[in-house]
Amino acid sequence: MAEPVLELEDVRYRYPTGAEALRGVTFSVEAGERVGLVGPNGAGKSTLLLAMAGFVSAQGKIRVAGHRLTRGTARDVRRHLGLVFQDADNQLFMPRVGDDVAFGPVTMGLAPEEVRSRVAEALASVGLEGYEAREPYHLSVGEKRRAALATVLAMRPQILALDEPSANLDPRGRRMLIELLPGLSNTLLLIGHDLDMILDVCGRTIVMDAGRVVADGPSSKVLADRDLLETHGLELPLTLAARNGDTEPRP
Amino acid sequence: MHHRMLDHFAGGETPVHRLDPAAKTVALLAAVLATVLVGREHFLPLLPTVIALAAYHALARAPVWYVAKRLLVISPFAAAIIVLFPFLEPGRAVWTLPVGTWTVEVTREGLLRAGHLAAKFLLCAWATVLLLATTRFQDVLQALGRLRVPRVFVVQLAFLYRYLWVLLDEGMRLRMARAARDGGAGPWRVRFQSSVGVVGVLFLRTYDRAERIYWAMTARGFDGTLHGTTQAHMHLTDWIVVIGVCAAAVAVVVWDRVAYG
Repeated sequence: MAEPVLELEDVRYRYPTGAEALRGVTFSVEAGERVGLVGPNGAGKSTLLLAMAGFVSAQGKIRVAGHRLTRGTARDVRRHLGLVFQDADNQLFMPRVGDDVAFGPVTMGLAPEEVRSRVAEALASVGLEGYEAREPYHLSVGEKRRAALATVLAMRPQILALDEPSANLDPRGRRMLIELLPGLSNTLLLIGHDLDMILDVCGRTIVMDAGRVVADGPSSKVLADRDLLETHGLELPLTLAARNGDTEPRP
Repeated sequence: MHHRMLDHFAGGETPVHRLDPAAKTVALLAAVLATVLVGREHFLPLLPTVIALAAYHALARAPVWYVAKRLLVISPFAAAIIVLFPFLEPGRAVWTLPVGTWTVEVTREGLLRAGHLAAKFLLCAWATVLLLATTRFQDVLQALGRLRVPRVFVVQLAFLYRYLWVLLDEGMRLRMARAARDGGAGPWRVRFQSSVGVVGVLFLRTYDRAERIYWAMTARGFDGTLHGTTQAHMHLTDWIVVIGVCAAAVAVVVWDRVAYG
């Protein structure tokens, strides 16, 4: 059995306002696994992502690539956990795409030659060769999303965690991303509502609702369970609904 | 939404576009210093700078309207102060206007002072606009870094430039959302209140975005220091330009002091 690269044990978090966002989340992800984390709005998915990177201090145990997350180890943990945020404009903060992709490798203290080769490699792997001198503001939403992915890939993290990667993408941009993601060798954690994308990319799906894990299993099984999905504010992926000849909405 | 960037013409292929950004920045600073150090009401010593900027402008092939428009946009800030001088500077009155028991006087010295200040302002602004018309903004930032300008200022400028347009877009979307509901009409009090609301929401979103950008930076190992990546070197032509412009600037200032005292 492969080593777990991500382990969460009874992770809890309460917002400063008092609302409970995470109520004891426990699961682990093995190296090379591609996992979808789904759930309705407010289920705690994005908060869980922030907790994994130590941006919100949650209770419980979080272990990333063998490092137990504490205030002192947050930097090491983030080297292994590549976070791609939902709004690419927040991720791309440097004046040029090339500088942005280089940001992670440079802060890691890599030599300039190594930084250059990583930038070129990361941009090529998302289909943005030669975009080094482009300004992020002038990219399309799809290009921004792929550039944001490259900024994290250049750090070669063990786990790649993407928050709503297909939000606001047109069908072509979304399809490009679906074709791109399985080619990345990292362990993948996809967070969002795009169940069709998760069905395409991830072998395993975890369903969260109200700060808890309510289902965890093979995507083909979890995402085909109409009752489970509807109980938790989700719908059968369109591809499965169409396969069942069941495209009419339920009354 | 798409905004015309500050450095819209910076992608050109002329000899002045090809100069090292640091050399251009130093030359600009020298031109600005040579302008501001010229004594009061000495017009002739400003002439060399006019000729140098005109030559640079011609070499850069930047459209006159492009530069004129930018000068017009920033002029009101200087004009607000300059228009007061004809009234405030003591001297020989060329025009008087009685206002009740007061008399408002426009003096010859005041007019000369205002004209001189306006000329100095326009020259400095022209030089800056030309720098941005021939150099990409990020190259200017990099040049500032190489010239040992404190990192915190360069980083602030970089973030300002990166997010100014994003914030403008957000502001425009909020305004459109408002216009879609009030049709651009309505009592001014309601419109004023909603404008305050738009500004407030924009502020909160900016705050929120700043936090998310910080997360994105720390997620990639940011520890408070921004490291540069690209390296640039001055070539012979760049050195000739820097030394030539600096020497000319010194000559202008010396000439001004010697000839006019």
